[in-house]
Amino acid sequence: MKGPILALVEHRKGEIRDITYELLRKAHELSQRAGSDPICLLIQAPGQGLEAGLKGWAKKILVIEAKGCEVFNSELYKAYCLEALRTLEPFIVLLPHTPWGMDLAPALSVKAGLPLISDCVDIVLENGDPKAIRQIYGGKLYSQVAFRPSSTYLASMRPGSIQVEGNPGYETELLSFDTQTPIRAPSKTFEEFVETGQGDVDISQAPFLISIGRGIGDEERIQEVKDLAEKLGAILSCSRPIVDKNWLPKYHQVGTSGKTVKPKVYLALGISGAFQHVAGIKGSGTIIAVNKDKKAPIFRAAHYGVAEDLFTIVSALKAKIGG
Amino acid sequence: MEIVVCIKRVPFTQEVDLEIAPSQKDIVKEGLAFVLNEWDNYALEEAISLKERLGGQVTAVLIGSEEDEEVLRRALAMGADRAVRVDPGDVYLDVRGISKILTRVVKDMPFDLILTGAQADDTNEGCVGVMLAEELGIPHASVVKGIEVLDRTLRIRVELEGGTEEVSTIRLPALLTIQTGINEPRYVSVMGIRKAAKKELKVFSLEELGLDSESIKPDSIVERLYFPPEQGGAHMLTGDPATVAEKILKILKEKGVIQ
Amino acid sequence: MYTKGSEALFIPHWVFWLICVLSLGIFVRTIKRRITPLRQAQKDPRFNQWRLRISALIKDGFLQIRQPRYPFSGIVHLVIFWGFVILGLRSLQLIFYGLGIPFIDPFSTQGIWYRYAQLKDIFEVLVLLACLLSIIRRAIFRPSRYKGSSQLEAYLVLSLISFLMITDLAFDASHIMLQNSNVNTISLKLLSNFFKTFSPSELSYIFSISFLLHLLTFFVFLNLLPISKHFHIITALPNVFFKKLTKGSIKPARYGIQQLEDLEYLGIKQITDFTWKHILDFYSCTECGRCSDNCPANLSGRALSPKMLTLKLRDSLYSAFPIFKKASEQREVIGQVINQEEIWSCTTCGACERECPVFIEYIDKIVDMRRYLVEQGENPSTFNQVFLNMEKTGNPFGRPAQKRTEWIQNLEGIQVRILKKGDEVDTLFFVDSYPSFDPRSQSITLAIAKGLSMAQVDFGILGPIEKDSGHQVRRMGEEGLFQLLKEQNQKTFETIKFQRIITADPHSFNTLKNDYDLKVEVYHYTQYFLELLKGGRLSLKGMPKEGRYTYHDPCYLGRHNGIYEEPREILEKFLGIKLLEMKRSRDRSFCCGGADVGLWHEVREEERMAQKRIKMALEVGADYIITACPFCLMHLEDAIKTHGLEGKIQVVDLMELIISVC
Repeated sequence: MKGPILALVEHRKGEIRDITYELLRKAHELSQRAGSDPICLLIQAPGQGLEAGLKGWAKKILVIEAKGCEVFNSELYKAYCLEALRTLEPFIVLLPHTPWGMDLAPALSVKAGLPLISDCVDIVLENGDPKAIRQIYGGKLYSQVAFRPSSTYLASMRPGSIQVEGNPGYETELLSFDTQTPIRAPSKTFEEFVETGQGDVDISQAPFLISIGRGIGDEERIQEVKDLAEKLGAILSCSRPIVDKNWLPKYHQVGTSGKTVKPKVYLALGISGAFQHVAGIKGSGTIIAVNKDKKAPIFRAAHYGVAEDLFTIVSALKAKIGG
Repeated sequence: MEIVVCIKRVPFTQEVDLEIAPSQKDIVKEGLAFVLNEWDNYALEEAISLKERLGGQVTAVLIGSEEDEEVLRRALAMGADRAVRVDPGDVYLDVRGISKILTRVVKDMPFDLILTGAQADDTNEGCVGVMLAEELGIPHASVVKGIEVLDRTLRIRVELEGGTEEVSTIRLPALLTIQTGINEPRYVSVMGIRKAAKKELKVFSLEELGLDSESIKPDSIVERLYFPPEQGGAHMLTGDPATVAEKILKILKEKGVIQ
Repeated sequence: MYTKGSEALFIPHWVFWLICVLSLGIFVRTIKRRITPLRQAQKDPRFNQWRLRISALIKDGFLQIRQPRYPFSGIVHLVIFWGFVILGLRSLQLIFYGLGIPFIDPFSTQGIWYRYAQLKDIFEVLVLLACLLSIIRRAIFRPSRYKGSSQLEAYLVLSLISFLMITDLAFDASHIMLQNSNVNTISLKLLSNFFKTFSPSELSYIFSISFLLHLLTFFVFLNLLPISKHFHIITALPNVFFKKLTKGSIKPARYGIQQLEDLEYLGIKQITDFTWKHILDFYSCTECGRCSDNCPANLSGRALSPKMLTLKLRDSLYSAFPIFKKASEQREVIGQVINQEEIWSCTTCGACERECPVFIEYIDKIVDMRRYLVEQGENPSTFNQVFLNMEKTGNPFGRPAQKRTEWIQNLEGIQVRILKKGDEVDTLFFVDSYPSFDPRSQSITLAIAKGLSMAQVDFGILGPIEKDSGHQVRRMGEEGLFQLLKEQNQKTFETIKFQRIITADPHSFNTLKNDYDLKVEVYHYTQYFLELLKGGRLSLKGMPKEGRYTYHDPCYLGRHNGIYEEPREILEKFLGIKLLEMKRSRDRSFCCGGADVGLWHEVREEERMAQKRIKMALEVGADYIITACPFCLMHLEDAIKTHGLEGKIQVVDLMELIISVC
């Protein structure tokens, strides 16, 4: 009988993040195949009460309450996770591959001496052993990766890669946990959250977005697309590289580190389709992608594609609209 | 401020049709161009900017073959003061192994700050930096978008999702993994790189570091690579640009976003 | 009469001697100060090829065959110039006469010196006329190319020269009348009626006064030369002698240095980083404005005016190395004297250098300034990815090298040989990056391949092992990258045997021919296909579409390499087209926008160069504008599209035209 499948909760500002439910869903699936139980690990501040939002998602919820844990802190989480691992002896531990998860998982792996495979899009069991499925080269290839033999396996999962089919509806048992870890002032101290996505326009509310990526080439050429957007009544948005170069303000950015958008039509010009970007447009009604490279990953996510230079299409569109 | 930057040389695969090697465990690297990992470029620029402002030295560290040295030369040309390369020979390396090697190299260096890129362009794992920090027992933060130097601490901004940033302070010595967009990396001309040939570049073998294949055994092993399954994908619009434009406008009308 | 000129002067003889010595002394001091920056400047080997240089000196220095490109001012200048040459001796005569040193008698009435006296008279009148015409023209017609020049200086000098002429004519005429000699010179003819009315003592007075004034004016003028634009009187002939003999190539990063890595920096940081010849250029500028008048960047409203570039640099040089004032500490060029916008505005078309009567060089200076900017990382950031792509993939697009031969897939039934190490072939077709990857340029490549195949030429391409020729990066200022690409290509060339190289693009042609060190002949496809047509290896059936055609001379085919007639021969003799020539054709052709900087950096301008060129074609009534360069094709087609001129005029590539009737 294998140890439990453990899933770590990620929460922020009093809300449980979506990735948590993906991890719990996966834990549920794996536990059925491995013949063990899914357990949810929640580390929070005393009395924060987040366990309420997790009822039914796992067989057990292990709640660790400690001062300073209303916000994620890698040092504290590492210490408490370690305790939980020693107590529960899980088979597989599912962690979020988010900025916070990236700060925790590798440190936990080293401290606990357990193998970690990060940024997985899936975990499968082959003859009872877990194998990780990952993407490499920006999504151009898939990789199946095996762990070295171990009692416990750590895996961090990519947000958006697991379908959440609903609450599995467990009779959830709440376990509180008295930690033995002495509270020590962590070397990293939280100050505040800052929202950088504010701006003149809220792209997440726009019904029609024309979005530019690296293919635009030159800052000055953005105007050509701006003109088209104006003519068509669309809002301009972009992928990360444009904001990295300071060619457009942050509030135009679509993607995991930007905004998630759900327009009726999303016209992507010169965007390769890195998953972080695609994650931000999944909810769009119709995605039309224009990219010179017919093998660009965006064509996997789009409904319609044009393998052509974006400027040729922009000019042609302007010519058809006239004026 | 003494800063160490760990960098990686990766294949330049934009627009390249990747081929899987017969072993199925790697891609065909012949004919590919290689560049400095994009995240590491930002990390280097950050380190060098900090040094230019505050004084000190920057050391660039790379694990790779002699061919990979060119990115170390680029780092030196950008402004790093010295470079170290560890030649791993033919040993299979995963993130755990890499972090162990880096630990061995870095632990005896004087440093106030270690910077790495948040992840690598090829393997996209994002583990090495934090593993190194944990091995060295120093505080760390990942996906850092901004650094402000206050006495023996830094005020950092971590890039979370949806435009949210987390502001914290972290005590030195520390390790930070750097996110793209934190600065604008400077260009170094070919001549600049040639000039940097005069700067110090030391090479170590694993043996010289007291490591062997046993001590850097991998935690994870790639079993096979394969192409993404064709999941439907986009319906391609074909024809000359005018025709395609018409088709697009038709779709826009259908979806009700234009008249 | 006076046997000694000294007796003719009003002032004591010793005073005149003093004036002479002082003037000469000031002049020598000024010249010495002007030489100082030349010594501090960089090396420039210009003492080679004496025969060529002497012939240039004769053709361009003395015969000034460039001057009549502006007919009126050209002729006027030739008159003034030859006047100076002839009259120089006269001035010497008068000085020696004044000093009391025996020399050539200024009052000869027979023999060769009498003939000379008559000649100099003719010239004095011509020069006077020329100066008066110039003053009128400058004041009333105000040619636009004189804008930015010191008008005061111009009028002053023209007046001084006129005055020199008048005083000598008066001096001569009054002397003849006093002597009552029988000689008949023009000066006499002109002034005798007027002087008739004067008494001998009055004439004597005129004689002395005009003599003194002439000499004083001469000394003033002499000392004015090195501190005005008329320094060119002294430096122009040397500047022509030392002119750049090579066409189309860019100077090395630094002459006389083998290890460029040892230099603190590349390019131009301070004014003395220019070579001595460049500094001589600054001295020699006559402020005529012919360069700016033909500069496409200037005419399009860009920040660059070649004349002002030279004058600003000259003036900053003068501030740093003054004659009379205190030296300024400021020696930095970029940002202080010249701004980045000016530097990036240039398309290296060479129109300025083609016009300049004193052979001032511009392209090398601008590229040297770009070298500094690139090394400091101060170039437009869009270049960085282009440079990186070039280094890593051998093309500016960052496309993988394997895809360099993708264009071949569009050739039906034609095999293109992709060469490997050790292969032997008759003709190497060097395609270069744009013709390999850019869809519009690929049609030229396809047409060339078709043509070569039809003519049964044994040709091959390098394919993935071909690196970009580097013509763009060199002119953008990334010299190290250019040298890298050049090295790589030259190494590849050494592994393959071939008789000649042909290129699709005039820029590749220019760089391989003039920037590389190849022992084999390099041709542009127009030259090669003319030979194929002449030799009957390619035959044309049929005629091109009816219409009115004009031909646009690409800068790097025409102006930089002198290939004007070959494309015309193909068009007129073999394709039977009666070409309409635009006003600006051949070496006066107007650049389409360039093949480097402008592709990746928007330069501020009032009107696109290509748009102006299309207008020129429309002006001459053309329906079709033919060109032989992929970048001209791109820019001109773009201009037609952007300004809704489809249907009015169409761009046609020469090779596509040839294939259409094969």
